[in-house]
Amino acid sequence: MTGAFTLLGVVFLWAPLLLVVLFSLHSTGSLTFPFQGFSLRWYDEIFSSPEVRLAAENSLVVASFTALLTLVIGTLAAYGLSRTRSRLRGPLALLFFLPITLPGLFIGIALLVAFSRLQVTLSLVTVTIAHLVYVFPFFFLIARAALERLDPALEETATDLGANRWTVFRRVTIPQVWPVLVGAACLAFALSFDEFVITFFVIGPDSTLPMFIWSSLRRTIDPSINAISSLLLLFTMLLFVITFVLTAWSERRRRGRGLAEDPLALAPPPAAEGAV
Amino acid sequence: MSAAEPRVRVEGITHRFSAVTALDGVSLDIASGELLTLLGPSGCGKTTLLRIIAGFERPSEGRILIDGEDITSLPANKRPTNLVFQRPTLFPHLDVFGNVAFGLSVARVGKAEQRRLVAEALALVRLEDYEKRRSHELSGGQMQRVSLARALVNRPAVLLLDEPLSALDLKIRLEMEVELRRVHRETGSTFVYVTHDQREAMSLSDRLVVMNEGHVEQVDVPTEVYRCPSSVFAAQFVGDANVLPAEVVEAGRDDALLAIGGHQMRVAHSQQGTGPAWLVLRPEAVRVARQGANGVADALTGVVRDVAFRGTGFSYRIELPALGMHVKAETRAAATPHAVDDPVVVEWDRDACWLLARDASEIEAPPPPVEAELNLETARDSGG
Repeated sequence: MTGAFTLLGVVFLWAPLLLVVLFSLHSTGSLTFPFQGFSLRWYDEIFSSPEVRLAAENSLVVASFTALLTLVIGTLAAYGLSRTRSRLRGPLALLFFLPITLPGLFIGIALLVAFSRLQVTLSLVTVTIAHLVYVFPFFFLIARAALERLDPALEETATDLGANRWTVFRRVTIPQVWPVLVGAACLAFALSFDEFVITFFVIGPDSTLPMFIWSSLRRTIDPSINAISSLLLLFTMLLFVITFVLTAWSERRRRGRGLAEDPLALAPPPAAEGAV
Repeated sequence: MSAAEPRVRVEGITHRFSAVTALDGVSLDIASGELLTLLGPSGCGKTTLLRIIAGFERPSEGRILIDGEDITSLPANKRPTNLVFQRPTLFPHLDVFGNVAFGLSVARVGKAEQRRLVAEALALVRLEDYEKRRSHELSGGQMQRVSLARALVNRPAVLLLDEPLSALDLKIRLEMEVELRRVHRETGSTFVYVTHDQREAMSLSDRLVVMNEGHVEQVDVPTEVYRCPSSVFAAQFVGDANVLPAEVVEAGRDDALLAIGGHQMRVAHSQQGTGPAWLVLRPEAVRVARQGANGVADALTGVVRDVAFRGTGFSYRIELPALGMHVKAETRAAATPHAVDDPVVVEWDRDACWLLARDASEIEAPPPPVEAELNLETARDSGG
């Protein structure tokens, strides 16, 4: 019984995705069964469409800038907060990651109002700023967790050996956490790349891939949408996999080599002491 | 710089953490080339003092001078000190060479010179072939030896060690003590060593600083601290001791007549005026004999309450009903040890006694600090 429900759940979750992928490979324009054979014609079509190409380029540019800016700002914010002894530490951290709970609709409207008040022309720049607001809390949460897990004694050791704060950060802190930070930046990229709701409010005359899909759908249901969606799915999943692999690798590295919190873990294996 | 100038001068250091006074007016001179131990129970301020010398804490009051120069306001990375932490803190992303060379490369020492100095430092701690190893490929003892090399390679004016052996197994620990003594001899560096383990402190130090509740109780060579403790705390923390309440009846020029629980005896100590005193008696100075064996004069009769075999001998707890007290005694292995409930006589030499002043109101000695008894087992969770 439980098995049947599980199966139903899995089908419910995955069937729509599989259908989209399946029909992106359909040889005819029909979006319904019976299935009439495989072809890559829809992929050909989107790759030769200048509109799709431009939208994809815009999405890549926005997502790249969003990821890079988040990486730099988010790392500095998380590092600063994880190393301060200030009483504002808790409230500030809350302020940084609480926007994670804001609905996209709200962020979109708020930013649109702000931009028009400041008389900023809507463009890909405003989209990037909006995406930064949206992905920052996700990045911040991951980066802060990784930085706070680090053994503070390692940074003290580096200081004791003559390193100033910047050198400690560059030569001791970053080498230990960069995989997690890069992973979190990939996540930020993925979130930005297929963001629609906020983008809808703050985008100017340009188009991004999600915007393009939406506007094509308004006209007619073109099978090439399936191809774009499938590629988007593949790309986003790939980024999530990279994030996951980097985070897991970093965690394993930390556990394996780390001078763990548990001093008992330091007890040498009996044979190791004399061995060369 | 005169020859008598101390390497490190700790001048009236007071340190408060909000409401707690961790250090209360501590002053110390540390001579160049000596191995000085800060010994005390956890919370006595020894680690705080070490961190103040290293520059990780700014003292509330007082100054730290190294070779006559005031370094109190110098940040940790600009001080000529290096610290070996309680846990090995090897950088996990660097190999042994990278770890040991860290300080040199921060100081922009040339590559060839780095290689030479690192090789020299690793040879000093006997890890010549370990340059390419990562920390997870090393045992706990090896990691601490790398930490030692990483600190010493910078030729610090003073090397600070914060319970560096406390995370290690007993066997490795004893080996490492020998290594530390050898490294200290070979480098001639100044070591300041923090520990709560009195056995380790006595076997390592040139001089011992006994600390308690933020102040210094006694500073002296280990044998003197053991023989002539300056306080009940020092007597109980350094080695094991019987601390018995007594009265000095008559104070002579080089001996004193002591009344202890109604008995009178002469002891070879005379710094004390008449009045209440503590009699400090090391357990190994107490002799135990069968009652009526061979009439010892001035002997006190008692009953064995506990016996424990210690390998080199036996340790007894003996009740002295006439005095209403218990004494601890350590004896060399005997063919036939005394058993529980055996009637025995105890005696001690008059020059094995040490007297300390006592307030008339104090009848019982304060209980000895716990670490003195459990030094090895508690080492792991003590933060100092």
